[in-house]
Amino acid sequence: MPVVSQIQRQLDYSLIPSSTPIVIDNGTSYFRIGWAGEDDPRVVFRNIIQRPRHKTTGETVTVVGDHDPALFKYFDCSRSGPRSAFDSNVVYNFEIMEWILDFGFDRLGANGSGIDHPILMTECVCNPLYSRSKMAELLFETYGVPSVAFGVDGVFSYKRNQQLGVCRKDGLAVCPGFMTTHVIPFINGEPDFRGSCRTNIGGFHVTDSLKQLLTLKYPYHMSRFTWEKVEDLKVEHCYIAPDYFAETRLFQKGAPEAESKTRCWQLPWVPPPVEEGPSEEELARKAAIKEKQGQRLREMAEAKRYSKINELENELRGLEFLLRQLDQVEASGIPSFLAETGYVSKQEVESAWTKASQSLRKVKGEQAELEDKPDQSPSEKFNLIDVPDDMLTAEQLKEKRRQIFIKTSAEGRQRAKQRRLEAELERERRNQEDEERRLENPELYLEQLHVKYKELSEKIEQRKRLKTNGGHTNGNNQSGGVGRGERLNAAQRERMRLLTTAAFDRGKGEDTFGARDEDWELYKLMSRDNDDEDEGPDPDEAELIRISSRLQELDAAFVPKLEMGISQPAIEVPKFRPLTEEDYRVVLGVERFRCPEILFNPNFIGVDQVGLDEMAGVSIRRLSCKDQELEDKLTQSILLTGGSSAFPGICERLEAGIRMIRPCGTPIKVVRAVDPVLDAWRGASAYAAALQFRSQTFTKMDYYEKGEDWLRRYQLQYSL
Amino acid sequence: MEREVVEAEMVLPSYFSFKKVQGYDKYPKSQSSTRRFKHLKQIIQSEVYPPDEPNYLSIESPPSAHPAKRVCDITGYEAPYHDPRTKLRYANTDVFKTIRSLPNEYVQRYLALRNAAVVLR
Repeated sequence: MPVVSQIQRQLDYSLIPSSTPIVIDNGTSYFRIGWAGEDDPRVVFRNIIQRPRHKTTGETVTVVGDHDPALFKYFDCSRSGPRSAFDSNVVYNFEIMEWILDFGFDRLGANGSGIDHPILMTECVCNPLYSRSKMAELLFETYGVPSVAFGVDGVFSYKRNQQLGVCRKDGLAVCPGFMTTHVIPFINGEPDFRGSCRTNIGGFHVTDSLKQLLTLKYPYHMSRFTWEKVEDLKVEHCYIAPDYFAETRLFQKGAPEAESKTRCWQLPWVPPPVEEGPSEEELARKAAIKEKQGQRLREMAEAKRYSKINELENELRGLEFLLRQLDQVEASGIPSFLAETGYVSKQEVESAWTKASQSLRKVKGEQAELEDKPDQSPSEKFNLIDVPDDMLTAEQLKEKRRQIFIKTSAEGRQRAKQRRLEAELERERRNQEDEERRLENPELYLEQLHVKYKELSEKIEQRKRLKTNGGHTNGNNQSGGVGRGERLNAAQRERMRLLTTAAFDRGKGEDTFGARDEDWELYKLMSRDNDDEDEGPDPDEAELIRISSRLQELDAAFVPKLEMGISQPAIEVPKFRPLTEEDYRVVLGVERFRCPEILFNPNFIGVDQVGLDEMAGVSIRRLSCKDQELEDKLTQSILLTGGSSAFPGICERLEAGIRMIRPCGTPIKVVRAVDPVLDAWRGASAYAAALQFRSQTFTKMDYYEKGEDWLRRYQLQYSL
Repeated sequence: MEREVVEAEMVLPSYFSFKKVQGYDKYPKSQSSTRRFKHLKQIIQSEVYPPDEPNYLSIESPPSAHPAKRVCDITGYEAPYHDPRTKLRYANTDVFKTIRSLPNEYVQRYLALRNAAVVLR
């Protein structure tokens, strides 16, 4: 269960006698404050602040803890992220600490002048003197606290569990926290910090690693993976595998147990509204409209044709009339007669007439007429070809050559037409065969098509890859750069050769490149622009296109692989296919136990320290007691406490780990704290309620008189 | 301030009766708080440590005695191989194909998970 903040202002502050200490558990993740002797802290909140700017007034305000995110819409939070007073597990920023204490005391109900109660506060193991003295100063000077005591949270937790009988007076406390993990040995009820040990891995790192893995795997849903959401996911779904690599092998093999261990988080997804195929009536209506339009167009075309025919006929008639008139007129009177009409000579009129009649025939008639014409012309025009050369005059020779030329070109055209017809027939035939094959065995046909498609696309990709030299992946190599070991295609080899020969010393010791004009031609040869011209649409690509279009028709599920170059990152959602439900499903498989594993293996994150199980061994070693019995006593009472100890499977794993490093046969017993999260506060509360607590605190006078050295050596005596 | 913000008492008031010195007196606006306070590294460096007692540094855990297990950066399986170009670890050929098709940004982020990214300062 994730911790829920409680920040109701308490109303009974003034009712509590001023001898009752206030107990503060100043944790890296949560701040807990309450009264000594009580079972639960009164006020609990996340130990962070934010300083957003109010949108309308523009003032920067301080917000402590986490609040309803809806209220943040009035603030501009872009420049303010959550900030903590802690650096690792040590308080360093006392301005933030002051705000947090302000908030804590305020919600506890503090009023009047000054906090008039002794304070018991938690700190980390071996807190640096600087932090401790600054904290004491803050409490004394700003809040007017009469007396202060500092203790370690893990120790309080162990003492409480000892009182409850969960663990013995000799033992080990293993406390995975938020930023750090500690192991503290206890001898006779007192912690021995010489044997304690700290690794800088905690719940924060687990959550952070889970968040990074998820955003890298599902970049499309990055905005969904907020810190709070990922923490919730971690608390709900993460567990610790008894043997990490055995679990991963399960997942790698795809065993059914792996399936059952995979959790899916379905993000809300609305399928796009399916467009109903247009119904029958729609189709009929559309077809009718199209028909009508076609009809209209045809009618217009007809009308235009008729009008053109009429025009031409009129023109023709006019010209004929003119010609007849010309025949009647004398030869000398022609120019003056024609001056009115705009034609200069009879030939012109005649040629105009022939042109007009031709176009009339064209508009009226069919293609067949035109086609007939070239057939007629050979017989008309090629009369000179058969006549042998010596019988012709010079002019006629020229004529004959022209005719030969025309004849050969006409024949060539014929042949080309023939070939085209044949090719079409051939294609028709092949299509027919294809269709037949498809009809008789649709599945097999489809499969074959798919296979062919894949082969072709791979071939093309490979060729492309060769051409672009290993590709633009990773951006690690400059594009087109010639590196060692990368295959050069023919053009690049040529270029290299040119470069080397040009640069090569042509004997004589002096570089004379460029003295002659021809040298600069080299650059034209080397130009890359010429590279890509040689490959036209090669047959493979054409075939590929044909196959992919066929497949698109036939197979509903086929997705054409668009040419995205080489990179088809598995990460990008191909946007040309409608997003399915699956894309919106976040799958937590290996991540479930990979992230908490870093508690035992900080190497996964790159932190070069021991994990939980080995820490116990280090701690015992550091105690350097030669007493085997004592060591056995220690391992018999190992307490797991702290916020990050709530993962299922952690106890068994810790026990197995410790068994591996201790001598064979030592008794090992790992127990979990009754309440890993609140036990520290409860232990501190019970401690502060004891009568002898007073003697363990120090006052402002003590602080100023006894000096730094004394403060450094100050330590609580935990068994009262 | 909007009504609901005031009602929720989200914002920290600037005056408290129980404080002897108020915040605005203590911290003038001139210096930003990050500059004013020493970070942990500086705190540790400036501390004086008497030899016998345990202190913040002496408590640190040593590096692990066992050889580090190599885990695939992308899938989390055991990864006996690593890609010389990107330095990522991978478990099998399919993962390798994925690695080679990753843009550089993702490669650096995967490496950063392991604290192995190239950091240019």
